[in-house]
Amino acid sequence: MRKVAIIGVGITPFKIRWEDKTYFELAYDATKLALEDANKNGAIITHNDLQSTIYGIYNELFERQFMPDIFINSYIGMNDKPGVRVATGGATGGYAVRTAYAEVASGLSDLSLCLGVEKCADCYDEQTGASTPEVLNSIAFSTDMTYEYPMGVNAASSYVSMVNAHFEEFGSPTEEQMALVSVKNHGNAINNPKAQSPMKITVEDVLNSRIICYPFKLLDCCLYSEASAALIIASEEKVKELKVENPIWITGVGAANTDCFIGNREDLGRLYSNIHAAKAAYKMAGLEYDKIKSQIDLAELHDAFSGQEVISYEELGFVPFGEGGKWIESGGPLMDGEIPCCPSGGLIGCGHAVGATGIMSTGEAALQLRGDAGKHQVKTIENGRAISHSIGGPGAAYAAIIVMENEEAVRK
Amino acid sequence: MNNEFQAHEIRDVIKINYKYTMGGQSKFFLELMKNKKILGAKCTKCGKVWMPPRINCSDCFVPADWYEVKHTGTIEVSTIVWYTTSAFIENIPYGTAYVRLDGADTALLQGIFSENLVPSKIKRGKRVKAVFQKEREGKMTDFFFVPEDEYLNWINKPEFEGGE
Repeated sequence: MRKVAIIGVGITPFKIRWEDKTYFELAYDATKLALEDANKNGAIITHNDLQSTIYGIYNELFERQFMPDIFINSYIGMNDKPGVRVATGGATGGYAVRTAYAEVASGLSDLSLCLGVEKCADCYDEQTGASTPEVLNSIAFSTDMTYEYPMGVNAASSYVSMVNAHFEEFGSPTEEQMALVSVKNHGNAINNPKAQSPMKITVEDVLNSRIICYPFKLLDCCLYSEASAALIIASEEKVKELKVENPIWITGVGAANTDCFIGNREDLGRLYSNIHAAKAAYKMAGLEYDKIKSQIDLAELHDAFSGQEVISYEELGFVPFGEGGKWIESGGPLMDGEIPCCPSGGLIGCGHAVGATGIMSTGEAALQLRGDAGKHQVKTIENGRAISHSIGGPGAAYAAIIVMENEEAVRK
Repeated sequence: MNNEFQAHEIRDVIKINYKYTMGGQSKFFLELMKNKKILGAKCTKCGKVWMPPRINCSDCFVPADWYEVKHTGTIEVSTIVWYTTSAFIENIPYGTAYVRLDGADTALLQGIFSENLVPSKIKRGKRVKAVFQKEREGKMTDFFFVPEDEYLNWINKPEFEGGE
């Protein structure tokens, strides 16, 4: 396969609601930002140079439109070129990047657009006079409709089941350890001007916030956001032709779908998709699962819920099983820790605009490797490598991991 | 002209009606409705008992046979839901748990009812038993689980009844 790079990153602000934009208007904005970024990096391209689009859009009910990708395709001037949508729950963004990688690595395209967008808060529950219960309901239709939806399952109750089972097995993560994730990610978001939930809070604030699904509290949960994120993906030949100054190479893409019925899993406290996706991505990038902590500089993780970020430290190979809670207590994933996790604020701090999220986190990791992350730039880039992580779907069945490299930094 | 942006919103709803066939799983729901039986499916090759049932074993790619499991089981993991979807928000707080029914190899998500719905009452390892609606429709909501020591109290309520 051919070498593939990210040459442009465009991310709109993550907001609770964009009253002044539709989903296709937001997608246009992110595309424009990504093209501007590529041009800032030496390329001279417009949307007319893009040969294909991979769309990351999770939920038709949010958008009030089935096949929303074709309406974006029209709006961003991509008519008469191939475009295909990826929809894999919370992992939509990561899977879209993987698909865009394949599009370019295979030679089908030399220059492709990976574009994610979501606009959820047009959902509205007349009964409570709020968006959230209706947003949650439109998400709950992603659970098994026959056996599980009728039980009142929702995203939080699904993730909390796995976290509770993990706690039963290892005594971790505790409520305090989970709260540390929320403190970290809301805190990191303070330095990200695009973040929805920048907050300086304490463990006590998290523990005292209202209960959502035992033991998740409100501040353990990410907020649903509206946003768009776009990447310009190029082949090595195109990078050379366009004289792009700072390409970030995608060196590993790994994905796996584990059983969507949590009750079918050997251990209920595992997100097996994480483990398989990570191992596949690391192997492709020539890295080692057991040594990954010393081989990367940062990780943009999928922290839909605080406790699930802690489990992900273990499943992505940063620390042994059962030690994720201790690792955050020791400061391992903080901005000045061993591997800064979610410098952008992640889903809890920056926000969760589902289809856009994994593309945002991949773009954020690429900006970090370029040294272009701004106020939330990680200080030490030694290995020149970063990962982004997306999971989602019923029981977090889907996972995708992307490994990125800045060759200049690796050579140093 | 005032140039300040003003959003225009419309009210809309997407509603689709279904007459959804349960296909090969139909017998599970019919036996639940008519006879208060809980049927798993046992692989004809490896013997794994799937719950919820599937008429083919996904591990061996061979057919599975219907296999009745017990109405008793053990909680694998549970939670109490305090905030939820528009469809269920009137029910909060409510308990859900993955329960490994005696005779099944996989765990089933079900509602957990308790007169004292606290985490310690429905934690991992607690034994539960199925209670049935008197009026059953052939749906998963035809039954739920209660802690074994509350079973008699629940089946004595007018709208519910015991099974086994």
